[in-house]
Amino acid sequence: MGLRTPMALLQVALPSAAQPAVVAVGVLYFGVVVAISVWAARRTRTASDFFVAGKGIGLIALTVASVSVSVSGFAFIGGPGFIYAVGLGAMYIVLPAAVTNVMGAWVLAKRMRLLGEARNLITIPDAIGARYRSPAAQGLAAVAMLVGIVGYMATNALAMGVVINSIFGVGLGWGIWIGMGVTLAYSASGGILAGIYNDVFQGTLMAVASVLVFLFVLSYGGGLGEISRTILAHDPTFLGPWGKLTPLAALSFFFVFSMGSLGQPQAVHKYYMLRDPLQLKWYPLLKTLGLVLVLLLYFSVGVGVKAFVLDGRLAPLASPDQATPSLLLHVTPIILAALVFSGVAAATMSAANSFINIGAAIVTHDLPIAFGRRVRNELGWGRAITVLIAIAAAITAQRSGTMVAFLGIFGWGLFASTLVPALAVGLNWQGATRAGAIASMATGLVVTLALETAAYRKAFTFPAGVTASAVAMVASFLVFFLVSWVTRRAAPLQLDPDVQLVMEL
Amino acid sequence: MLETINRSGTTTRGDRTRNAALAALCVAIVAIAVGYGAAFGKSGTPVWAPWLLAIGIPISLGAIMILGATRGQNGIGPLKLPFLFVVGVLAIGFCAALALPATESPLSKLWLGLPARAAVVIYGIGLLPIVVLPVAYALTFETQTLSAEDVERVRAMGRENRERGLLAKDASDREPSA
Repeated sequence: MGLRTPMALLQVALPSAAQPAVVAVGVLYFGVVVAISVWAARRTRTASDFFVAGKGIGLIALTVASVSVSVSGFAFIGGPGFIYAVGLGAMYIVLPAAVTNVMGAWVLAKRMRLLGEARNLITIPDAIGARYRSPAAQGLAAVAMLVGIVGYMATNALAMGVVINSIFGVGLGWGIWIGMGVTLAYSASGGILAGIYNDVFQGTLMAVASVLVFLFVLSYGGGLGEISRTILAHDPTFLGPWGKLTPLAALSFFFVFSMGSLGQPQAVHKYYMLRDPLQLKWYPLLKTLGLVLVLLLYFSVGVGVKAFVLDGRLAPLASPDQATPSLLLHVTPIILAALVFSGVAAATMSAANSFINIGAAIVTHDLPIAFGRRVRNELGWGRAITVLIAIAAAITAQRSGTMVAFLGIFGWGLFASTLVPALAVGLNWQGATRAGAIASMATGLVVTLALETAAYRKAFTFPAGVTASAVAMVASFLVFFLVSWVTRRAAPLQLDPDVQLVMEL
Repeated sequence: MLETINRSGTTTRGDRTRNAALAALCVAIVAIAVGYGAAFGKSGTPVWAPWLLAIGIPISLGAIMILGATRGQNGIGPLKLPFLFVVGVLAIGFCAALALPATESPLSKLWLGLPARAAVVIYGIGLLPIVVLPVAYALTFETQTLSAEDVERVRAMGRENRERGLLAKDASDREPSA
């Protein structure tokens, strides 16, 4: 089976869940979001407050917020559907969570947080610019991230519309504008501070919903053993180590979602925000445990619904994407369905808020620096750009149809292929050079866009198990090493003493 | 081929660890590239291609973690064992999934509710590293990752940076009238 990129699975058509309990929980959810936003807006006074919460977020809040932005609506809807379709092979998208958080802590968290301390940095391109003493590298990183953010934002706007339409029955167009309007209200007024505390609420909601669904599925299915026996009797390949994927495809997922995690700005950007760098000590453990809780739904619904359909307790699904909605609307208590639907809205809104904020920082902070300028009122411009990005994303989502799916496809891969070598390796290897970083980011950007466009236009078909994201990330790594080696004499001249200190600690 | 910079001219344990990690990362990425490249062949993906990824992925992840965890002139100290364990668990898990015969059936023995090969993947690859790596990170944090003295050194440098920035700004502000 060829790989279907997970982000594409966000674009599902959800059945209507507009029942009184679901609507009531939905209204309550939006009420809490608004209350948090009003509170945060009163505390946002500077650009640093707006973009990195004044570097003053505590450990627990940052951990829950980071879990929340790391999990999109895909984990609740598209992911279980993917397991239902291909079996355990779909788990290779989430299995890397066992190592990615601690890997990020060792490779990036300490150095980025300390760079923030030494240089007052607030963005990821800032870190690349400081590391290579290069506005050009900072600018290229900013452009690459902006391209990826366009895709993510449009996809999340559409996903928001789908979920809100399902909860309130207002139609897809209104769903997009309501979701984006609420997200925009708290993004523009309270910046990342509102985002973080909304993420804490949303992440908690997602974890509670996920654990309850997991327990319900196990109870309803008579335990994991019984569920497995039912599946093994009808479709043993489903519970094979690769499911119905080829080994190369499953391993490819693991590679892209493990190594690629080091380039995901919505998670990496959070490292700047921790109040005290020494609190990083417990961050990976807490975040990993949080992610495991949120991902319990992914596994249990995918496997559980397969068994329930096979033993006749659930009607066959119209499409794999209906696994979660079908279980929620036909089997679980309606209050649990209400919690999960609000959880999905929370997941899309928290991801959208994070990307809006990062995009605004790129436009008002990184791109001007790349051209040797500084914006005088970064907070004011940050708010204005936030509004523009949100409106542009909503219009794109509403008008572009299949183009949105295409934009969403390459987001993760683009961040991975452009940022991982230059940022993750570059912050830990003093021999990396400016030329290597720029060549690597350019390679990631060009290869990802070229291959994804060719595949989208059906001008080219990848062999089973190979994805554009994986090829682009590998190419970016190889170019980074090669060009850094060729230009190695320049390396010592491109390292400021404070950056070198941070890299040696 | 790839080396770290050491301005004192001596090679420390930290340098050797970083160089080894870089070399391992480079080799692992090349192995993964060859695995992908082979899939483009006319006769489809050869049997050995997934094995390159099964070995290359754990090594690349282990190498980049070691690169990040290497501190100053020291190596990775007590973190050797957790890293070795996790790279081993991932490599053994992937290779077992590739090598073990497909015997899943209604009569299969279940391990915590899953057939053997699935249990290796879910519990081995997906859960075992959680028990080891984040705990090792926390337990060695002050000695291997970050101490209060480190933070203070960086903060002092930050203060110097800001003072230099203010001085430079003052100088540039005065320049036009000079």
